[in-house]
Amino acid sequence: MSAEVLTLAERKRLRAKKIKKHGLINIVTHWFNAASWLVLLLTGLGILGSPSLRIMPQGYIDFMRELFGGIGGLVETHKVFGMIWLLVITYNVLLGFRRYFVPFAAKRMLLTQDDVEWLKRKGLQLLGRKVTLPPQDAYNAGQKLYGYVAAFGTLTIGVTGLIMTFSHIFPPEMRWIVQWSRPLHFGAVGMVVAGLIIHVYMAAFFPEEKEAFFSMFTGEVNALYARLHHKKWYDDKMREEREYEMHVRLEEIEARDQL
Amino acid sequence: MTNNVKKYGFVIDPRRCIDCRACLVACRAENDVPLNSTRIWVYDMGVQGAFPALSQQFVPYNCMHCDEPPCVDVCPSQATYKRPADGIVVVDQQACIGCGLCLPACPYHARTINPETGKADKCNACLQRVEQGEAPACVATCIGGARLFGDLNEPESEVAQALRAAKSVKRLPAVGVDTGPNIYYINDNVDEKKLAVTAPQAPPADAFYKWIVIPGVLLAAGATFLGQAAAFARQLRKGENEFDE
Repeated sequence: MSAEVLTLAERKRLRAKKIKKHGLINIVTHWFNAASWLVLLLTGLGILGSPSLRIMPQGYIDFMRELFGGIGGLVETHKVFGMIWLLVITYNVLLGFRRYFVPFAAKRMLLTQDDVEWLKRKGLQLLGRKVTLPPQDAYNAGQKLYGYVAAFGTLTIGVTGLIMTFSHIFPPEMRWIVQWSRPLHFGAVGMVVAGLIIHVYMAAFFPEEKEAFFSMFTGEVNALYARLHHKKWYDDKMREEREYEMHVRLEEIEARDQL
Repeated sequence: MTNNVKKYGFVIDPRRCIDCRACLVACRAENDVPLNSTRIWVYDMGVQGAFPALSQQFVPYNCMHCDEPPCVDVCPSQATYKRPADGIVVVDQQACIGCGLCLPACPYHARTINPETGKADKCNACLQRVEQGEAPACVATCIGGARLFGDLNEPESEVAQALRAAKSVKRLPAVGVDTGPNIYYINDNVDEKKLAVTAPQAPPADAFYKWIVIPGVLLAAGATFLGQAAAFARQLRKGENEFDE
């Protein structure tokens, strides 16, 4: 990706070196989210059965209804899993709000000049042009944009889902709130799924992003991947390593001096 | 249609209705309908004619259990459905999300939101009684015999006999669409315009869903899917290079 020339020996050395990218809570949350999405997507598509609104074939809808003991059971399952998903995600965000969420939003999510440039050149690259991409932080501009879709999507899906789950608290003349929730719920899911197609392809099939996929289990990426795909983040990490090294040595010297 | 498929319907003779509204009370008691709500109605059509030839018509009214119910088409979760075995249109309360799309979809305005549950409510022809071989509560309680209920496919049923004996038969037509309503008003002309029967209607949220959200989502998901499929094809052509990564 980047323009610099790396010898094979250097590549091999970097590939052997691991850098930590994700903490345990991050990994668990990611897979919890993935599992919830799977269940909620499958049940949700089974609920949408009306002839004018359905997306899946009748066979799928009948199968899902059989599986969950009728449409009522399917709707109840969707609601219960949806609320568990929402509760866990909200709990995690609140728990790590000051230590993780705010720094993440402030440092990792904002689009920089390089990101804007990256998006432009990535567009050209997709059209078949040869380009060099500007250096990227821990998440590239595409990932950041999808991050916004996922965050606002989650918020929209959660709020509209709760409205439909607890629709009885709205008086009959406020049905419009429940009526608007349905297209918004579906639209937000659709937008997240559109990006999810890229997300899953990149992780499961795309050779250059294989490291990112395995990092969702181990928490680590190799240094070669980090350097080629996330140069700014890689440089930060290397600086942190040097600083730590310096700090350790200073302490060593101080300890020796005291003797 | 095979012999064992029933087609339940109502035959109503407005001349026999005295507007006592015992049917509303019976329905409410039988089906646990909240006091500020109702599943069935009796419409007072006002005084007609000139003195001394005056008349006043009362029209017992509820869900028509249509052959092609528009309320079933619009229900996102198919909580509302027409029972294949007997044609009664019911609402699965567990599956209803209370969106209320079925209310304007019904040309006969025969649906309400239950103020206690927030879910769609309507006449279910007292299914619990009908399955035990009893008539619906409104029919059983009607002192004038204005309301009749039964299997329209069965030639010897009370409703079929009443229809054969009737001087006139009228099904109230919806505007612009034939939903095949299964209330037959006999022996008296009922003016559907006075009852404000309309065409099936949809709120703006529904148009937003159909014309903006669905095309938008299909476009976005389709575009990313095709994009990734193209990328995958290119990747297969190129093969993997061990030393690159």
